[in-house]
Amino acid sequence: MSDGIKKRISDALELPGDIVLNLPRVIVTGNISVFVENHKGIVEYDSDRIRINTAAGTVIVKGEGLLIKSLVADEVTIEGRLKLIEFEE
Amino acid sequence: MTIKGGPAVLFIKLWNYFRGYVIIKISGEYAERLLNQAALKSIYLWDVRRIDSKALIAGVSVSDFLSLSRLARKTRCRILILRKAGLFFLLNRARRRKVLLAGAGLFIAAVYFLSSFIWSIDVITQNPQLKEAVESDLRQWGLKEGTFKYHLDTKYYLDKILQQHKEVAWGEIRVKGSRLVIELIEKKMPPELEENTPCDIIASKDGIIEEIIPFKGEALVKPGDTVSAGDVLITGRVAIKSDQTREDLKNQADQTRVLLVHAGGIVKARTWYQKAVKIPLVKVENIPTGRVKKAYRLQLGKNVLKFQWGKVPFALYETETVEETRLLPESIGDVRFSIINCREVQTRRQFLGVEKAAQEAEKQLLEVLESLPEDIKITRKRMDFALDSDEKNVIGSLTLEVIEDIGREQEFN
Repeated sequence: MSDGIKKRISDALELPGDIVLNLPRVIVTGNISVFVENHKGIVEYDSDRIRINTAAGTVIVKGEGLLIKSLVADEVTIEGRLKLIEFEE
Repeated sequence: MTIKGGPAVLFIKLWNYFRGYVIIKISGEYAERLLNQAALKSIYLWDVRRIDSKALIAGVSVSDFLSLSRLARKTRCRILILRKAGLFFLLNRARRRKVLLAGAGLFIAAVYFLSSFIWSIDVITQNPQLKEAVESDLRQWGLKEGTFKYHLDTKYYLDKILQQHKEVAWGEIRVKGSRLVIELIEKKMPPELEENTPCDIIASKDGIIEEIIPFKGEALVKPGDTVSAGDVLITGRVAIKSDQTREDLKNQADQTRVLLVHAGGIVKARTWYQKAVKIPLVKVENIPTGRVKKAYRLQLGKNVLKFQWGKVPFALYETETVEETRLLPESIGDVRFSIINCREVQTRRQFLGVEKAAQEAEKQLLEVLESLPEDIKITRKRMDFALDSDEKNVIGSLTLEVIEDIGREQEFN
């Protein structure tokens, strides 16, 4: 099934996108923490830049003193002084 | 394995603390790959921090560390242990410090040992004399401070207490930590002596003997005698008839020739009762007007603090509690909330006059008569009424002459 049809089903049935479309769920708490569920691995990790691979492209988190608070198979929590969260196709 | 964030992560951290964890330094060109591989293999990593362009610091549990180092070889990273932490390592280190372990063990043993003795004995009873007696008895029977509390036969001691102290109706012994609590409830001893205890019959009040019928023992008084309270009426010391005269026996007070019996009998005597009442000539009465106001009251203690809501618009009123609730359990404190009714009253003054006041006095005195015991026979009754010195009250006095049984049993000293 193509993503287009999936999206239309998801919209019609009001199903959450992260389940049907396998999209990441990104939860931001102020400027101190980002929680990414359903990620596909860390591409790059630096104290001022973290790139996380997801189904919706690469999520780039920029900030200062970034730290991976916890890392498991599909969840990652990043803490630090956040400045920017960006999606890269 | 899927691990959700929040409390689950905290739980894992706690678990890892117990099992022990290591802080490692990962150095290599592409450490991110190791992180991803670890995540895929369900190796939980936390507090990953970049220290320079080629090195990371992370935390990992002891059990995961081994599989991580295998992965590291594949991803061409080097792992260095920076610090070992957690209970596992703490105990490991403590294993080498034998004296410290021994000390801790000794401490626990000492606390356990010391708490297996009884350090205080509490006797809970209303009567301080009984308390003292039981305390000294227990000491005599070997139950004292420093007794080993295990295998303590509380039933044995309780039985002994109950046997020794007949006045104890109920008792309980329990061990509360290092405290031995003995709870005793005393029973009221009946005033009559047991059937076979030798005793005298004595006068309970002053009077003139009207009739004396001894069942057992020897009468010492005869009708017409005046006796005062405490006099022996029927004695339990009966002289055994022998050649000697009775006088001799009395002088010698020799118990072998005197039979001690439980004296009994009826001793009727003429006695007097007196009662006076004072009735004011002006009678003051509070008569309710029918107006009622409800108010709320918070009360601390019986007379400590009272808060009341709701204004009472009456100059004079009486209160009546409608509903009362305790806010705290009785053992914690006396705090009550109550709803009260305030009834307005009016004072009415009524001039009775000497005649009516005397009637009122008589009425009250007759009530006294009715409250007297039933086995009393009234032989003479006199009522007097007089005005008091400042002529504001009528004083009614009642004098009764009755015949009643004044005998009372008393054990020999």
